[in-house]
Amino acid sequence: MAEDFNTDSMLDMFLYESEQLLGDLQNTVLEKKDEDCFDETSINEIFRVMHTIKGSSGIMMYENITKVSHKLEDVFYYLRESHPDNVPHLELVDHVLDVADFITGELDKIKEGETPDGDETKIVADIDRFLKRLKSGIEEQGEELPPENEYVAPSQFYIAPTGTESNKYFKASIYYRGDTEMCNIRAYTAVYSLKEIAEDMEYMPDDIITNEDSGAVILEDGFHMLIKCQCTKDDILNAIGDTSGMDRVEINDCTKQEFEMGFHDHGPEHIVIELEDKKEAEKEKKKEPTPGDYVIKGKETGKGKKLAKSQPKPSHKQSYISVNVEKMDALMDMIGELVISEAVVLQNPDLKVPGLDLTNFQKAAGQLSKITTELQDVIMSMRMMPLTNTFQKMNRIVFDVSRKLGKDIELEVIGENTEVDKNIIEHISDPLMHLIRNSVDHGIEDKEDRIAAGKNPRGKITLEAKNEGGKVYIIVRDDGKGLNKEVLYNKARANGLIGNRPMSDFSDREIYQFITYAGFSTKEQVTEYSGRGVGMDVVVKNIQAIGGKLEIDSMEGAGSEMIMKIPLTLAIINGIVMQVASSTFVIETNAVKEFVRISKEMIVKEPNGEEYVMLRGECYPFIRLNEFYHLSDTVTDIEDGIVVLLEHENKYISVFIDQLIAEQEIVVKPIPSYVKRVRGISGCTQLGDGSIALILDIAGLIVGQERS
Amino acid sequence: MAEELMDVLNEIDELDDLDELGEDTQKGKFMTFRIGEECYGIAINYVSEIISAQTITPVPEVEDYIKGLINIRGKIIPVIDVKVRFKQEPFEYMDRTCIIVIDVKSTTVGLVVEQIADVITVDEKSIIPPPSLNQNSYGRDRYVFGLVRVSDEVKLLLDPEKLIRDEDPTMPE
Repeated sequence: MAEDFNTDSMLDMFLYESEQLLGDLQNTVLEKKDEDCFDETSINEIFRVMHTIKGSSGIMMYENITKVSHKLEDVFYYLRESHPDNVPHLELVDHVLDVADFITGELDKIKEGETPDGDETKIVADIDRFLKRLKSGIEEQGEELPPENEYVAPSQFYIAPTGTESNKYFKASIYYRGDTEMCNIRAYTAVYSLKEIAEDMEYMPDDIITNEDSGAVILEDGFHMLIKCQCTKDDILNAIGDTSGMDRVEINDCTKQEFEMGFHDHGPEHIVIELEDKKEAEKEKKKEPTPGDYVIKGKETGKGKKLAKSQPKPSHKQSYISVNVEKMDALMDMIGELVISEAVVLQNPDLKVPGLDLTNFQKAAGQLSKITTELQDVIMSMRMMPLTNTFQKMNRIVFDVSRKLGKDIELEVIGENTEVDKNIIEHISDPLMHLIRNSVDHGIEDKEDRIAAGKNPRGKITLEAKNEGGKVYIIVRDDGKGLNKEVLYNKARANGLIGNRPMSDFSDREIYQFITYAGFSTKEQVTEYSGRGVGMDVVVKNIQAIGGKLEIDSMEGAGSEMIMKIPLTLAIINGIVMQVASSTFVIETNAVKEFVRISKEMIVKEPNGEEYVMLRGECYPFIRLNEFYHLSDTVTDIEDGIVVLLEHENKYISVFIDQLIAEQEIVVKPIPSYVKRVRGISGCTQLGDGSIALILDIAGLIVGQERS
Repeated sequence: MAEELMDVLNEIDELDDLDELGEDTQKGKFMTFRIGEECYGIAINYVSEIISAQTITPVPEVEDYIKGLINIRGKIIPVIDVKVRFKQEPFEYMDRTCIIVIDVKSTTVGLVVEQIADVITVDEKSIIPPPSLNQNSYGRDRYVFGLVRVSDEVKLLLDPEKLIRDEDPTMPE
């Protein structure tokens, strides 16, 4: 049975849902951070989030998360019910963010397969103190905690009936020994096992997943199930199994009517009524005489209770469905295949028979091409996600860092709806975070300095995203002090990064680029956030890993600007297919500057064997691909082959090949990891005829050439 | 039940192991093939499929035994020539040449072999460890984890993990 119990999907669901909720939570909090207090909607929102996380972490048995979220829930419960005035708003914001951070940290541990073992006591104690202060601030007498809002309105639990005749109906009850812990979890397991054999079932109490206290109820009154199935009592007994803590299991036949009547309303089960009474009674017991009566609404009924994957709460009106990324990738691969086999069919040599009437075929082929192109567009758009989430995270970073550094900074976000391939989004989050931190820490001056410089005392960072020419530009702009070329140059020289070249050797941009060199930090003081000299080089590496680049511009005294230029997508590129000997290579079309046929006189050969080609007075490094990769049977006469001039980050290289074949869209696939990395090759792809071509990596070629 | 749940929660890895137990029917079965004079066997649970030879795209600057890449239904996998891997003379590929596609620890690799023989069932007890003499002959003793005699012929059983491992076991590091 244990194998059938799909913990992976449960865990995935838990992580996914919690992350979404925490994201929502942070947005809500940060939106309101500059106001005096939370409005009712946001209080309810935070309360709801905490309640859900508490419930689901309870099921997953992550106790520290449960405790922390429970505590914060208490605070917001109090806020919601008692509407206290003069709540120290910023402090509250801090507490909420602390909790969100704590839980995020623990979730990360869970994702890594570790046990979430963070110590929650400090946070809980802090919030406790805060809550106490809050209360004593309003009520002189020091009001007690409001009763826990744990009551969830009863609702039916249904597992979709698979509907066949000859069903039997049973009523099963499990009773646990008095000292058993977490009866609700145990009962839940039983439900899971029974799901395997039951056509349909209901159980009571039905809120075992969302309500921790249901464990106590089960302990008291037992756990009752109504089962519709085609098996015998013994089967049910076996399915429930024998777990420690289980006292006894009672299974009785019942009629269809009884089953359909369920547990509540006019049901004959007096236990249910008794149970409700008990719950009420318990509530009464807990309830301290508080001024005013409040209505306890059943929050989140139905949520997290479905055994089937439940949808995360949609934050927009549109409906979404979450799909495993692997499935998306598989779909993507298959569409890639489809495009290729389409080419195989449409360009089939059999069609080239002279005198063949292909009018109808061409019509149909045209239709087919249209559909495949659209299909390709759709799948590409499915992989596209807006940058909204990533940008919102930055909001948080600006808030945190600027407060700790005592700076007043405003973050302006432009174009957050720009859509980027999901793979790329994952890769830009970290670099972006670094850039933002740098701007807050190094870029924006202290308040005094700003006032002295006649600037607005409030610093401003602009985060902008836009689409331009097949690339996404992500720009971090600040109105701080900008970069000082002199300082950068001296520093780079002192660190031995540039040898003895004079400053006039470098363009402004080149000097700014120094800050991206490893081991370079202009900040004298190492702060918590930046200044260790690692960072910018890592940022640049991360950006390069996804085929992007970082440009830096600055005006001293007026601010600086970091521009990340990132390709929209990695999966499909436009490539030029070319041939050298029997091998086929592909070069990204964007990188190709020109194709030329050259004559022998244009080649300059150095004594060490390096070759250069002279084109219109410019001199470019020259690589013979056949020699580079030791390929035989190639064109060796310069005048018979073709030279391709390639550009990458303002560096040029020319490559000698046998012949050009075509330009086409190619689906990039990685070289199997088993094959060691080959210099100058970044991936491979499948061509129309099913053969494989290798994708040349221009950056790699340039580096390889420079080294030799 | 709840304990079981806890176990499962804690040791999801174990679950994966359980899944693999379902391959009882493949136990003791070996796919055999010929390279030169010798007959080799590879445990059948590693074998995912056998395909006839197709165009292999060479990759420059890799070990000589990696013949290149092939495309099986959109998946691009590397191909190893087992004969070259064993430091023997390479052979001409023809129609009878087959590629055995194996999955070893989530690495998919194709093995070019001269001729596919058949599937044999071997009693585990009849597998004898290779003699330790003459260890460096063709380097193949290191890839062979056992010998088995089937109808007057000795078959060498290969350890696919060692076979595809990058470093060459005969070369001193």
